[in-house]
Amino acid sequence: MKHFFNIRRVLFSLLFLSLILTAYTLYYKVRYWGFDLKPNKTTDVWIIDAHISFKALGGPVNVYLSTPKTDSEFKILNEDVIAKGYVFEKDENTGRVKLSSSFRKGKQNLYYRLTVYDNEASLGKTKSKEKAKINLPVYDEQQMQTAEEILAAAEKLEGNTVEQIISIFNQSPLNESVETLLPVKANLQTRAEYIADLLALKNIPTRFVRGVKLIEGKKASKADLMLEAYDGQNWHLFDLRTAAEGLPENFIIFQRGDVSLFDVEGGINSQIRFSVLKSVTSSFKMAEHRADVSATAGYYAFSIYNLPLAEQNILKWLMVFPLGILVVVLMRNVVGVPTMGTFTPMLVAMSFVQTGFGAGLICFSIIIAVGIALRGLLSRLNLLLVPRISSVVIFVILIIEAMAVIGHNFDIEVSSSAVYFPIIITAWIIERLSISWEEEGPKNALKEMFWTMVTAIATYAVIASEAIRHFMFAFNEINLVILFVVMLLGTYTGYRLTELKRFYPLIKQRK
Amino acid sequence: MFWPFDTAKKLKSIGILGMNARNYKFIARLNKRRLYPLVDDKVQTKALAIKNGINTTQQIGIIEYQHDVKNIKEIVKNFKEFVIKPAHGSGGKGVLVIKQWDDNRFVTASQKVLSYAQVYQHISNILSGLYSLGGQYDVALIEEMVHFSNIFEQFSYQGVPDVRIIVYKGYPVMAMTRLATAESGGRANLHQGAVGVGLDVKTGKTLTAVQHNVPVQIHPDTKADLKTLCVPFWREHLLIAAKAFEMTGLGYLGADIVLDETKGPMMLELNARPGLAIQIANSAGLVKAIKRAEKFYPKNLSADERVDFILKEN
Repeated sequence: MKHFFNIRRVLFSLLFLSLILTAYTLYYKVRYWGFDLKPNKTTDVWIIDAHISFKALGGPVNVYLSTPKTDSEFKILNEDVIAKGYVFEKDENTGRVKLSSSFRKGKQNLYYRLTVYDNEASLGKTKSKEKAKINLPVYDEQQMQTAEEILAAAEKLEGNTVEQIISIFNQSPLNESVETLLPVKANLQTRAEYIADLLALKNIPTRFVRGVKLIEGKKASKADLMLEAYDGQNWHLFDLRTAAEGLPENFIIFQRGDVSLFDVEGGINSQIRFSVLKSVTSSFKMAEHRADVSATAGYYAFSIYNLPLAEQNILKWLMVFPLGILVVVLMRNVVGVPTMGTFTPMLVAMSFVQTGFGAGLICFSIIIAVGIALRGLLSRLNLLLVPRISSVVIFVILIIEAMAVIGHNFDIEVSSSAVYFPIIITAWIIERLSISWEEEGPKNALKEMFWTMVTAIATYAVIASEAIRHFMFAFNEINLVILFVVMLLGTYTGYRLTELKRFYPLIKQRK
Repeated sequence: MFWPFDTAKKLKSIGILGMNARNYKFIARLNKRRLYPLVDDKVQTKALAIKNGINTTQQIGIIEYQHDVKNIKEIVKNFKEFVIKPAHGSGGKGVLVIKQWDDNRFVTASQKVLSYAQVYQHISNILSGLYSLGGQYDVALIEEMVHFSNIFEQFSYQGVPDVRIIVYKGYPVMAMTRLATAESGGRANLHQGAVGVGLDVKTGKTLTAVQHNVPVQIHPDTKADLKTLCVPFWREHLLIAAKAFEMTGLGYLGADIVLDETKGPMMLELNARPGLAIQIANSAGLVKAIKRAEKFYPKNLSADERVDFILKEN
């Protein structure tokens, strides 16, 4: 008895450990490799084209462009420059790109293409230890008075000081004082500068942020402008139109603060325009790159996801087997139904997954029925066992062949699905069914067949869902859990469900 | 209404042994796998029984290879009647009882007439493993027919009953006999409608009798009062069962014993995985009986001493 509990204790500990392992790898794979619990999860991949155009003056040309840092909220999949004859350099720390060429004249078109994915939620806060300095505006007396009126009016609005001041510049109709302060045709940039000025008066340091809002199909647009305000520890990002704090979704920052977004030396009439293209790809395909950028490439290389696709597909199929096995174990040892062959129901269920349930069930029934009929003829010939079962195997092959041909020519899908059934297993079912029929009567044979099919259907119900198959593949450590559950079931000494029914009369007799 | 947990609790309280518990707690523990062939192969069992002085059915011959099948008539030429069975068979599968024969006419126990070709075919089937566990190649065993004691005649429809005794660590703990009925088609399977009779291990007398899980008093076909059934030579029955423990080394086994008119009780076959139906016939649980044996029965006794202990036990 002591021995018995020791085995169980060991198995329970192993089960517990494998559960922890599974939970950990699940977290790990979701966090770093971008795996999802659900199948067919896709990832948006954004392609951003920065198009710099200018007129070269005939001398050497240097073009500088601020680009997103590699530690930005987006993961950078690819970076590409189309600039014929230009030398490409990049400062990895600042993300500043330099394109240089000697002696250029005339219209120049340079393209910088960035492919990014995985926009992670962010509060739009950036830590900064450097003390930010304040550039007080140079205002005359009248401007100063207007500015104070605006500040006083802004205080009545909701939000913190930054939000109040941005809001007052976006009111409709515009506050009179604001209208007085702003030049006649004020664009967003001008407005932003006045907002920064007023914040400086309030002793709040600010800086501008330029980036691209990722909207599908965006063409030749200017960079989007945002404002960052410093609170003594962090830079906070604000939308200049809505005054909302934080980094908007799908916004990628190219440049911050004093550095320019782009500079052209040796050219005039320079401008930069951004275009955005969205493409969708399977999350699974991005896993390797995710692993690379998260410095877990080593683990990834030794995972099954790094194998050739054909092998992965086979493994994906294999990963479902333990689950089917678990169902079989439960049906046999806990429910206690008789089945023909231990894993026959599971293999039949596997075929159902490929054929579809209804079609598979009808098709399988037809194969068995025809097989039984042919086997009936065979039993009159009194053949020896091995040649006889071999003949049944050939019968099954012929039946499958015939059904496939009929299915193809008359366009009957049910018939065509015959090819998915395991030949040897089917042949053994026919053989056993007919022997059991002859020796123990049709009742017994049909009972065994019935429970075999019930077990197959139960297994099918579990493994049919694509979601479960995906889960078993993506988080295949779960198979260890199943292993120990199955081993623990090997120590289960309780009654089987069918035994309760079998021995139930003994309780009644006692009364 | 049938409540699983409630039912399980009650079955446990009366000590009913389930299949999982039997396999895990008793068979896996007490029966070493290397000993299985001793009982799975009837040729070996028979040889062992003779060596150990246990009365068993006499072997006429064995047919091992397909090309020897044609010798069957030669092998049985001195015997008026004989039995062909697979050496690795179980549950009476593939057993052919020939009561009378001449050149091309073989009359079976159930009065069916077979041709020589059919008998030949039957032996071939045995050799190819049709009736053996796992379908491996088998050997056909030809034995002398048992002349069953007519003491059971009034209690059974056709077929002749054998006595099954469960032996735990050498002690007989439960016994039964199965009586064929018209409904069971002369077979001794309880689920097919045979009557199961639980026998008192101490006396060999009927304790309980059930058919289809319902207690019965009389045999449905012969109308014999089942209470009057008492197996003669009971001590000899117990002794064969007890000796099977030393003979095989199996701590948990089922011994099937038949009663021959002239030769007395004979070991028919042994089983390393005896079924659980005996509990239904006895309306009692094996766990209870085994626990009792584990607790009160002395160890290191000889087979004779163990049987005496059982017979004297209160």
